[in-house]
Amino acid sequence: MEFGPIWRAMMRNKGGYLLIALQIAVTMAVMVNAFAIMQERSIKMSRPSGIDDANTFSLVSVGFKPDMDAKTLVQEDLDLLRGLPGVVNAVETNSFPLRQGGWSEGLHREPGVGKSVSSSAIYFVDEHGLDTFALNLVDGQNFTPDQVSWDSDSPDFWPATVIVTQALAEDLFPDHEGSYVGKTFWFNDENPANIVGVVERMQAPWPTWTGVERSMLVPLRRESEFARYVIRTEPGYRDELMVQVEELLSGSNKDRIIRGLGSAEEARKLSYLGDAAMIKILSFIVVLLTAITGLGIVGLASFSVARRTRQIGIRRALGATKPAIIRYFMLENFLVSSVGVVAGGVLAIGLNIVMVQAFALTPLAWYVIPVAMIVLWVVGQAAVAGPARRASAISPAIATRSI
Amino acid sequence: MLNMKNVSKVYRTDTVETHALREFSLIVEEGEFVSVTGPSGSGKTTFLNIAGLLEDLTDGAYELDGRDISKLNDKERSRVRNEKIGFIFQSFNLIPELNIFDNVDVPLRYRGFNADERKRRIEQSIEMVGLGSRMQHLPAQLSGGQQQRVAIARALAGEPRFLLADEPTGNLDSQMADSVLDLLAEINAAGTTIIMVTHELGLADRARRNIFVRDGQVSDNAPELHLASMAAG
Amino acid sequence: MFRYYLKLGTLSIRANPMLSALMVAAIAVGIGACMTIFTVRHVMSGNPIESKNDQLYHVQVDNWNPDDPYEEPDGAPVQVTYLDAKALFDAGRAFRQTTSFKTSRVVQPDGDDARPYQEDARATTADFFPMFDVPFLYGAGWDRASDETQDHVVVLSRELNEKLFGGEDSVGRTLMLNDEAYRVSGVLDTWNPVPKYYDVNNNPFEAPARLFLPFSLAIAGSFDNNGNTSCWKPVEEGSGREGFLASECIWIQMWVELQNASARQDYMNFLNAYVEEQKLLGRFPRPLNNHLRTPSEWMKYNEVVDEDVDVLLGLAILFLVVCLLNTIGLLLAKAMRRAKDTSLRRALGASRAELFKQHVIEAGMIGVAGGALGVVMTWFGLRGIESIFIEYEFMQHLVRMDWSMVTLAVVLAIVSALGAALYPTWRTCNITPASYLRLQ
Ligand SMILES: Nc1ncnc2c1ncn2[C@@H]1O[C@H](COP(=O)(O)OP(=O)(O)O)[C@@H](O)[C@H]1O
Ligand SMILES: [Mg+2]
Repeated sequence: MEFGPIWRAMMRNKGGYLLIALQIAVTMAVMVNAFAIMQERSIKMSRPSGIDDANTFSLVSVGFKPDMDAKTLVQEDLDLLRGLPGVVNAVETNSFPLRQGGWSEGLHREPGVGKSVSSSAIYFVDEHGLDTFALNLVDGQNFTPDQVSWDSDSPDFWPATVIVTQALAEDLFPDHEGSYVGKTFWFNDENPANIVGVVERMQAPWPTWTGVERSMLVPLRRESEFARYVIRTEPGYRDELMVQVEELLSGSNKDRIIRGLGSAEEARKLSYLGDAAMIKILSFIVVLLTAITGLGIVGLASFSVARRTRQIGIRRALGATKPAIIRYFMLENFLVSSVGVVAGGVLAIGLNIVMVQAFALTPLAWYVIPVAMIVLWVVGQAAVAGPARRASAISPAIATRSI
Repeated sequence: MLNMKNVSKVYRTDTVETHALREFSLIVEEGEFVSVTGPSGSGKTTFLNIAGLLEDLTDGAYELDGRDISKLNDKERSRVRNEKIGFIFQSFNLIPELNIFDNVDVPLRYRGFNADERKRRIEQSIEMVGLGSRMQHLPAQLSGGQQQRVAIARALAGEPRFLLADEPTGNLDSQMADSVLDLLAEINAAGTTIIMVTHELGLADRARRNIFVRDGQVSDNAPELHLASMAAG
Repeated sequence: MFRYYLKLGTLSIRANPMLSALMVAAIAVGIGACMTIFTVRHVMSGNPIESKNDQLYHVQVDNWNPDDPYEEPDGAPVQVTYLDAKALFDAGRAFRQTTSFKTSRVVQPDGDDARPYQEDARATTADFFPMFDVPFLYGAGWDRASDETQDHVVVLSRELNEKLFGGEDSVGRTLMLNDEAYRVSGVLDTWNPVPKYYDVNNNPFEAPARLFLPFSLAIAGSFDNNGNTSCWKPVEEGSGREGFLASECIWIQMWVELQNASARQDYMNFLNAYVEEQKLLGRFPRPLNNHLRTPSEWMKYNEVVDEDVDVLLGLAILFLVVCLLNTIGLLLAKAMRRAKDTSLRRALGASRAELFKQHVIEAGMIGVAGGALGVVMTWFGLRGIESIFIEYEFMQHLVRMDWSMVTLAVVLAIVSALGAALYPTWRTCNITPASYLRLQ
């Protein structure tokens, strides 16, 4: 309705309005980019690990006496664990997804040690690995017991068969169509590996690694005084079994210690601690920032009402209705906010470009900008509502009183 | 002491130029009590503002105590205002957050007097306007006449040689106005030069010289005083 | 006059309590956000061995894959092979030198029912302690001879000594580790350099080892490497431990102490000569790419400060900018409200300079208040960060505020407030004396 006069009145006091617009613009730039980061992190955190996080836990047995019979001890432990009521399956392995420590290996399509074409996380397991990790086998089959070997029994370190994740298979053979079962790749110039199975997904131990979806099961058992057990339980049995298993293993052999007891869920949480923190800190910043900007608008609007008391009184005396006064301030704020959010959109995109370049961030999604605009418009209108209402309550009698 | 020659003042806005003063010439001697009358909008306040160094002139020459004002920078002008000139406004212009004592103190602070000297002058000038018992009051706790007397005390505390008053009684009833005029006459008798803009016939009469301003110029043929009193504002 | 302006400032702040509170709060919140992140960054980017920064050097020699260089930025591997660690150490060409890696041992306390437990250990050499100015509570490190003779000596951290020996002077006592008897040669005083500059390849923000024992002993006893091992060439099949030690796998950190620039140059020449010599034996297929880096260079090279901290710092600075824009707006509004007062003061003889002083002092007061409250906010901010990272115990060492940070917070607040006051004050000083006094 009265954009013209309001705009002209504002132009007479540009400085103050420009400041609010600028403040809204910077707020929006921060808001939008913070949101882009939060979104990126929460997508990262919600990626499935491929294993049964909720019902899996792990612990480590470390033998500390010289010349202990590791082979026998591990076999006894596994037999014990697999026989426990509530345990679905158990395996001795070197790591599990998102544990943040593990083994990775460069891979080749031809024998050789030149530049590797891909790389993968390695999980050493026996034929119980697939079931313990609750992996979804989409092609081929599980290891047969005779495919599993002890490293101390064979001269070759690397076994001839592996189960790979879909992502690894695709990375290794990008041009291949159809089944990957039967395809061969090389660990180095001597050891070919034949794919016998493909699982839908199993993440690597390192959440920040770009190849986090690339991993493989290797049917090899390593004779060592150090053994990590991963155990999957029936739903609901995990917590009590964690306590029970630790006691059981600690007691069964005095020549080793049990340590590193923790659930896959805890490992996952630790893995993403930094990302979760980032989300919390950023949302805190955004909320605080919006509050500060909102309060600033309230403060400035209150001021401008106080300064214009006489003018408002005169307007009222001349016949302006209360809603008309409120509308005046709302419209004024709307105009300032509009300048702010438009500038903010440009600023947000600029900042995003800088961040994408400097910190390898994913570029922001287009819809974040209009959403932020609407949010800031609403915040502005809400902030100005109070002072506007107070302005409308100014008595028209003020006009007749002297200064 | 005041010598204006062909002074003109033009206010420029986006669309219009207002010639508030044109070819305005006036000499005021030391010790004079001059009243200024004239129709509303004739340029009386503008003249006073320029005389008091509150505004720059557009053209012409203005000497105060033989010094060419146009050659002074902001700091020197502030200094002249502070030391030589006292102002009295129609609407008193006291600072609401400061009490009477502190209001009178304001120009003395900028003058750089030490605390004892300031206290002495403040108390002396407040006594002089008869408000010795009100020093700790805030302006809002005083009547209009009392407020104007505080403003006069403030103007006098620095012992200016030149007092400029713009309708000092405009917001006061006639009895109060009289007492303020008495005070001014007393001050003038003590040697202070006074220029007072007013529209009240009786008050203008009490000055020793009256000048009439019309269309931004000193008018040679001043009309009868009762005409002026009807038109002034 | 200064006192007078302080008084005017107080009056003005009191006359607009809500507004002043809002300004102080805005500055405090902005400072709090910036300083919280900056404090963490400050600690993470600190150099605990500043005093010897020009004498200590981390050694890098490029033994990597001819077809596929090691990572950015210069393709030099960040650790060394056992072959090179041993050769360079034995050459003894630096004033001091140390090779080390991260491992662990099972501690068997005395008493039959005392359960054994695992502790982090560092396998290192005698020079480690004097090189890194490691403080001792009791005793000392082992002497260089023990590096050769594979003696079973151990240095304990203060905490472990407290746990095992109740904090007594345990030098000379015996400690069982993995069923082997060790003689305690020294106990460290509290020593927790942040970042853990001597081993940034493995998490630079974790507690230091609680056991230190001879490198040669750890090699002979095949102690596991708990840090990173990277190989570009497979270890020869079936060659076992010997093969691994002879491989091109990198897993050892090497530091040297060189007392001046010429010693540094000499050592660099020595490294280059060593690599040239190895090339003749068929190793080091890549061009010469050796480096000696000071602790501060080394930490920068390894990007010890997490990128997220920089992202947050950038956003926090923008946050402060918003808070300041807010403050500028409020100050401007206040200046406008006071225009009449200002114009009156001008009429009464205040020069621009005097008005400028008055407003600057008032802004300074807001700044001081904002800074003081900002320090409190920073403290809360750091506690907030600590609680977010509750599962990561080491965080408590990264959220410590020292006096330099407190000072910086206050100075930043005052500078911010003064900066924010510039435009409003400029506007104020340009108010002409008559403008607001003109009647009707
Ligand atoms: N700041 C200004 N801008 C434009 N015109 C002005 C300004 N101040 C005064 N004028 C104009 O100058 C003329 C003289 O005003 P003034 O000196 O205030 O008259 P008065 O004799 O009533 O005191 C008037 O026409 C007035 O409108
Ligand atoms: Mg007038």
